[in-house]
Amino acid sequence: MASDAQVPAKRFINLERLVRPALAVLVAAFVLWRLWDVVMVQKAYGGDTWVRFAISGLILGGVYAVIALGYTLVYGILFMINFAHGDVMMLGAFAGYFTLEAFKSTGVLDASLFSGILAVVAAFAVGMGSASLIAVNLERIAYRPLRTAPRLVPLISAIGASLVLQNAAQLMFGAARHTYANPAILDRNAGWQVMISGKPVLVSYTGVLTFVMSILLMVGLYVLVQRTKIGKAMRAVAEDKQAAALMGIDVNRVISSTFVISGALAGAAGVMWGLHMGIIYHYVGFLPGIKAFTAAVLGGIGNIPGAMLGGIALGVMEALGPAVLGLPFQLKDVLAFSILVLVLIFRPTGLLGEVLARKKA
Amino acid sequence: MTVRSSLRAGLSVGLIAILMVLIGITQLSGQLVRGWFGLPSATPGAWLILLLMAGWAGSRAYKQAKATSWGAALAAGAVPGAAAGLLLGALMWGIGSLLANGTDLRQWLAQLSPANVELLTLGLPPLASALVILAALTAAGAAGAALSFASERGQWGAAWAARRQGLGAKVTSVPAIEKFLARPNARQIVLIAGLALLLLLPLGVGQYWNYIIGTIGIYVILGLGLNIIVGMAGLLNLGYGAFFAIGAYTVAILTAPEPHNIGMSYWLALPIAVVVAAIAGILLGIPVLRMRGDYLAIVTLGFAEIIRILLRSDVMTGFTGGPRGIRSVGGPELLGIDLNNETFFTYFILVGIVLAAFIIYRLQNSRVGRAWMAIREDEDVAEAMGVNILTYKLLALAIGVGFAGFGGAIFASRNRFTGPEDFTLQVSINVLCLVIIGGMGSIPGVLMGALVLKGLPEILRQLDDYRMLAFGALLVVMMIVRPEGLWPSARQKNELRVAEEELTAGPGTEVVEA
Amino acid sequence: MKKFQFVLAALLLVGMLVSGCGGGEVECTDEWGCAQIAKGQTVKIAYVGPMTGDYSAFGIDMSRGSEIAVQNKPEIKGFKVELLKEDTQGSPEQGAAVANKLAADPQVVAISGHTFSGSTEAAIPIYEKAGIVMVSASATNPPLTKLGSQVFNRVCFTDDMQADFASKYVFNALGKKSVAVMHDGGAYGKGLADMFAEDITKLGGSVVASEAITPGETDYSAPLAAIAAKKPELIYYGGYSAEAAVLVNQLAGAGMAGIPLFGCDGTYGEDYLSLTGKNSEGSYSTNVPIPASDAFTTFRTTYQSQFGDEQGKLSPFSPHSHDSTAVLLAAIDKVAKVQGGTLVIPRKALAAEVRATKGFQGLTGTLTCSSTGECAAPSVVFMVVQDGKWVEGPGQ
Repeated sequence: MASDAQVPAKRFINLERLVRPALAVLVAAFVLWRLWDVVMVQKAYGGDTWVRFAISGLILGGVYAVIALGYTLVYGILFMINFAHGDVMMLGAFAGYFTLEAFKSTGVLDASLFSGILAVVAAFAVGMGSASLIAVNLERIAYRPLRTAPRLVPLISAIGASLVLQNAAQLMFGAARHTYANPAILDRNAGWQVMISGKPVLVSYTGVLTFVMSILLMVGLYVLVQRTKIGKAMRAVAEDKQAAALMGIDVNRVISSTFVISGALAGAAGVMWGLHMGIIYHYVGFLPGIKAFTAAVLGGIGNIPGAMLGGIALGVMEALGPAVLGLPFQLKDVLAFSILVLVLIFRPTGLLGEVLARKKA
Repeated sequence: MTVRSSLRAGLSVGLIAILMVLIGITQLSGQLVRGWFGLPSATPGAWLILLLMAGWAGSRAYKQAKATSWGAALAAGAVPGAAAGLLLGALMWGIGSLLANGTDLRQWLAQLSPANVELLTLGLPPLASALVILAALTAAGAAGAALSFASERGQWGAAWAARRQGLGAKVTSVPAIEKFLARPNARQIVLIAGLALLLLLPLGVGQYWNYIIGTIGIYVILGLGLNIIVGMAGLLNLGYGAFFAIGAYTVAILTAPEPHNIGMSYWLALPIAVVVAAIAGILLGIPVLRMRGDYLAIVTLGFAEIIRILLRSDVMTGFTGGPRGIRSVGGPELLGIDLNNETFFTYFILVGIVLAAFIIYRLQNSRVGRAWMAIREDEDVAEAMGVNILTYKLLALAIGVGFAGFGGAIFASRNRFTGPEDFTLQVSINVLCLVIIGGMGSIPGVLMGALVLKGLPEILRQLDDYRMLAFGALLVVMMIVRPEGLWPSARQKNELRVAEEELTAGPGTEVVEA
Repeated sequence: MKKFQFVLAALLLVGMLVSGCGGGEVECTDEWGCAQIAKGQTVKIAYVGPMTGDYSAFGIDMSRGSEIAVQNKPEIKGFKVELLKEDTQGSPEQGAAVANKLAADPQVVAISGHTFSGSTEAAIPIYEKAGIVMVSASATNPPLTKLGSQVFNRVCFTDDMQADFASKYVFNALGKKSVAVMHDGGAYGKGLADMFAEDITKLGGSVVASEAITPGETDYSAPLAAIAAKKPELIYYGGYSAEAAVLVNQLAGAGMAGIPLFGCDGTYGEDYLSLTGKNSEGSYSTNVPIPASDAFTTFRTTYQSQFGDEQGKLSPFSPHSHDSTAVLLAAIDKVAKVQGGTLVIPRKALAAEVRATKGFQGLTGTLTCSSTGECAAPSVVFMVVQDGKWVEGPGQ
């Protein structure tokens, strides 16, 4: 057994050193060929279509970024993948849905311009608030008892929590799709018509709202973490939990606050999703959750600007990537995950690098 | 202080009660009770669960308040009961009023059919039903407190406690069982007896149960493989299903008449499938194994999704059959006899499990196994001690996914079909959960986990709608209560228990390892 | 801990000791064996379809149709008929799993199903081996009857018919010559879309763009933008209503306001209308006409009063599943024999009997099975959304 173990070792080391540069060359060649084919040879799309792709990508990316921020916050403090985060977003979306339905049933929704705006604000408030509540309770029930356990244990607990939330939502709200009742001022097909390459491109109000809100939330979070006392406490706890406790910081309260913020972000993302995409159901949070975690890793886990960048990059890649590379849209998830693998091979700490404590997870 | 906490307990119970009504657990309870006791309606069962919860909250409040008299006990119990009753009553009043108005609530809340709502409102007008609920839950809370009080203070309390003790002792100390367990090789005897039973079982039960046992068996093989990767080498692999798919599709493509009509013999295709899966594992591993644990998780997850999407896609339809999958997958044949029936497969799977278990057992106690343990505990130290990290990680990955390929090959030929939706993320998550719940790093643990994961839903068919909900809750509860799994290896149990003891002992005390 | 493990192991081993039932020995000369129903046991017929998941509307609706058929004929020669309802969630994989499960149950005599083509295709070889006859109410994929199967039959139209009629309708009646084709990547949707593309090209039209989407998502603006760039006159979609609704909602945003979406029988229904509101004005779909008859009126009344929903609201196929079950029951009644208290049903004879169905009066029309198992009278009608309701399209 001893000699067997020695010989393969040498071979594998050589293989590894060859693999990375070979991979780099292959990937670069492929991308360049596809780009040339699509842009020069086929001239597949006009300027207006590229703009449509970009708009679609930016909006999706903004939502991914907001969800990714929530992931990255929790990971930075607890070093756990909060698998249930996408489902918190789904529940926030439903909370917003019920708010709008309440407005609609009582006839207030379209009574006036003001009432429409009020409805949207209320939807966000209720969505973010309930998502925060759910996130905090989730932490208290499923994660707090497991804080010292090895890495896999809270992960399984998170998976279990995700299943509970998804199925509870399915049982409560039914398996059918639900349509968001947007007020008339925010009709999903209404917006500005911008002329590009001689054709009108719709920049919808909901799309602009989503993107602007994403940016505002990102900036707001950054300010919160860097400039406020609670943010300082969060950074301290993320850096070294025991030292922070010794300095008098109430670690439990800080962790709860982190989940409040992370939940609020997820809830906002859910309401934005509902307002812009229009259709929600119990499973709507699962894949965006995974994509958002991919985005967070892409940007550098624990890194807030990294999550923002990763989210937007992922959204744009999903929308533009297939068109640019001439691949069918059915393979856009393949593209997204392949890019993740490639980025991690060449830059193992993510695009903007990690911001984590010395502790190795 | 105690009033506030008991109020909070009551509010929590109230919220849980509301959730139960909305999710439909109250009516499930009603149906189950009706079925078990042959009652004419589902109302008693629905109320039973609510009253029990209120009673439990009441008894807890009593214990916290440490009341010393009947009156105080009743009062202590009534508080949380009233709080819960207030919340639930308010909800039912709202629902009742809306229903009276004529709105059909089912467009928003699927469980609130008029029949289900009536279980709780008892056909009374909204306000009256709310008051009834308030009264009932308050009474239940008080009753719970009173029961606790009685059992602790009353004369028959001590006798009841003594009887409970006695019963417990009787069950676990039947002299014959005691003597048997005292034998040094008790465990081995049980295992051998179990194995003997398993060998004779497939002949005795019908095709249907053979199919189910076979499914459990395949998941055991998968679990054993993932156990090597996650449990023994400590690599977090969330995409195990991809290699399951590779094994299944390799056999399918090599033996089915469409799309390629290669017509290879099953006995040749099977080892090829294992080798192909292992190679795929190595190819994935080389660029990826340098990554940190959680990055590895998301990358393996991504890889599983990539495989599934590619198998299903239009682009690959010519090669993999696309969404229609591959039919008429070849089956095992021996000397012209077609062995493609459930009984044979069950035996085949059993043989596979024994083989797998044997391989793992030998690996565990070998140099390789110890290297894996070292890597799992602390990579840096292991490297400093001269362990070649990459080689051993790749070895773990290759062997582990080889098992998956084996399982996939059996899966495809047993179903005579394979398709992309057989290999969703859920499969990977299921295998991971069964390894963790069964007990990481232990072979009987994986068996346990597979039985619970796959066997239980078959037995609990009535709870079909709530199956995944119960499963998720089980995962959370198990992780909190017994994170080492149902049947952990001795090492794992020690690790996790020591960590707990260190935590509760507080700083400055030393914990000696048992 | 040791005790706990011991008890656990013992419990589980005991739990596994469930043996199948054994029947008494009866004479059976059938090539495929016979189903033997002992006294007190039930004759099991299974309805198989998506009872849960995204497509549960189909499964729930069609299982009800089968239920009514069993209520009309609850006994065969004194033995009670039991309708099992098995869930496949519409996937081929679960179809195979359910088929294996049912094939292993000796009391299962016939299958009303499966419901989705992919799931049916996966199941046919399994039932073929076990000798269990099937009549499907909605598996419309053409190759199913070209597999040479002796057990598979269906009482619905086929997708090559649907694609053929649809392409002619789009090309001639609607006058659209350059179209785009989309589908959801599933067995049914992709099959239909590919056939439509082929047919319309043969007629002289051109497919200017083709994209597959991933079902379950709620944002298809990017693939729609790619399609818009090629300026089609109409989009043909193969798939189900949930995704079709999203597509139709996002058409205007992609710059294709006014371009009609032409769906299939999978996109027809109330679901589609409620999810799309105004956006679906002018979109098309395929429906199956049921000839008016007293039996059908009675069926509708029974359905409404028993289940609370209007017949046809959840899916158009409940009359078909009623007919599939009725055909099976009639055939079983003909070939079943009582031997010494046991009901003996020869399997191959039963399959032959079903295949020989002639002039059977079903709700969907007069059913006569061809030698390959096609039992329906083919006809489809195309519907268009007008003022928020489905009405018959022009020019048919």
